[in-house]
Amino acid sequence: MTDKFDKETDGARSAAAVSKDSGAAVPPAAIKAIPVRHYGRWVSGVVVLALVALLVNAFATAEKIQWHAVGDYVFDGTVLAGAGRTLLISVLAMVMGVVLGVILAVMRLSKNPVTSWVAWIYIWFFRGTPVYVQLLLWFNLALIFPMLNLGPIYKDEMVDVMTPFMAALLGLGLNEAAYMAEICRAGLTAVDEGQTEAAHALGMSHGKTLRRIVIPQAMRVIVPPTGNEFINMLKTSSLVYAVTYNELLRATSTIGSTSYAVMEMLFVACIWYLVITSVFSVGQYYLERRFARGSSRNLPATPWQKIKVNLMAFSRERSSTV
Amino acid sequence: MTAMVKAEGVHKSFGPVEVLKGIDLEVRTGEVFCLIGPSGSGKSTFLRCINHLEKINAGRLYVDGELVGYRQKGDKLYELKDSEVAQQRRDIGMVFQRFNLFPHMTAVENVMEAPVQVKGVSKAQARERATQLLERVGLGDKARNYPSQLSGGQQQRVAIARALAMDPKLMLFDEPTSALDPELVGDVLDVMRDLAESGMTMVVVTHEMGFAREVGDSLVFMDGGVVVESGNPRDVLTDPQHERTKAFLSKVL
Repeated sequence: MTDKFDKETDGARSAAAVSKDSGAAVPPAAIKAIPVRHYGRWVSGVVVLALVALLVNAFATAEKIQWHAVGDYVFDGTVLAGAGRTLLISVLAMVMGVVLGVILAVMRLSKNPVTSWVAWIYIWFFRGTPVYVQLLLWFNLALIFPMLNLGPIYKDEMVDVMTPFMAALLGLGLNEAAYMAEICRAGLTAVDEGQTEAAHALGMSHGKTLRRIVIPQAMRVIVPPTGNEFINMLKTSSLVYAVTYNELLRATSTIGSTSYAVMEMLFVACIWYLVITSVFSVGQYYLERRFARGSSRNLPATPWQKIKVNLMAFSRERSSTV
Repeated sequence: MTAMVKAEGVHKSFGPVEVLKGIDLEVRTGEVFCLIGPSGSGKSTFLRCINHLEKINAGRLYVDGELVGYRQKGDKLYELKDSEVAQQRRDIGMVFQRFNLFPHMTAVENVMEAPVQVKGVSKAQARERATQLLERVGLGDKARNYPSQLSGGQQQRVAIARALAMDPKLMLFDEPTSALDPELVGDVLDVMRDLAESGMTMVVVTHEMGFAREVGDSLVFMDGGVVVESGNPRDVLTDPQHERTKAFLSKVL
């Protein structure tokens, strides 16, 4: 403490000397004050660390957990295939949800009362019932329609059509569409009415105005919650376990119950869910930047750009002190 | 001279509120027609009726001899389809008080948009024309800027270029300088003056009495949804006949 104090006074003395010597206007010396001490932060930090240590210890020393099993199975072929299917079903269901959601939102905002009511009823049903129930409804559709008969185009047994994959896709995708419709509607109505008027005044049709002017601006409002929805979807997709689609949770659970490593395999599932959601969170960040175009004068720097700037500033500082 | 805009007993109500109570006027081809009046007098609403952004409730409104928004067969009126209304609007440029530029497009993209999307002009051609128009309004060097990077006056000049890109036969200006800082008003008025000199037919809702007196060929003073007084801007502004006009001008001049 005394050491530091001495150094500081030394510094102050030399700064004063410099200003006396040069005589010219010298920028005021940077303030060197002792910062406010935040003792609370230290105490709470120690408490949290202690709790975490206890928890880690409980897990690590649990006799019934064979930790090596986690390592053995993380890159197991069945697990990887399951993770792949989780990704596939989530992406496809999300694409379906976004496309249908945009259509439903436009239908709801339409002046045509028929389309707007159809959209309202769709959203009412698919938001009002649990996804889990919807998945089971699709899976058991053959009980109502034993045959899928599209006239001359297509005809087959419903049981053959409604595979676990189809049931999972329809269940997740159609449910998501209802939520996406509400998100898109919020985005579309958030765009200033002057934009539509300007486009109409230029002679653009309703469709062109929507596609070229309104939707691109609505995207800025729509993209962040859609990213959330997708990350939610990655996790909700574990429900398709119920329709026997062999995604990540089903793959790990099957191994878990046959090899008596239930907890271990749930850890494996957690690891992969975290990996996938983390990767997409980063993707979402860059997507949001893309659609913020034109809305702010300067886009904030990406983390990577910040790191570069910091590194450059750091090396400059070092070279100047050397 | 023929009439570019002809209004016969135009009425417009928003719900129970009657905003236009029978407007009769004529805008001749090639003239600068100024509409002045206190806020709420219906002048902006009337302007928006001309390109059918608002539907009129009674009367007839013609642009270049064509009924706006309707087709007349015998003594029956038929509403036009959306696509037909869009077709009519192509020839009528409009400049808004709040600019309404498309914020997700650069200045040059804003100007190119309608020719490419509505007229099917090739992108290269549209870009060339857009660049010329931006130069004409003094913004050749701002082509690649987004609207948020431009001042209000610059944005409004881009908006004028955007409207001109459709080669309109009529330009509507809805208080084009009311949202601008006083020192930026001049640039926009200069562009409008140039446009007037080039022979464009212009209907201008404005509070800029100087512009009306200097550039305007006709002037109408509206209040409470009716035309109170009309005539040559210099006559009306210097020697108003009606008490209401006198009262209004004494406040704004």
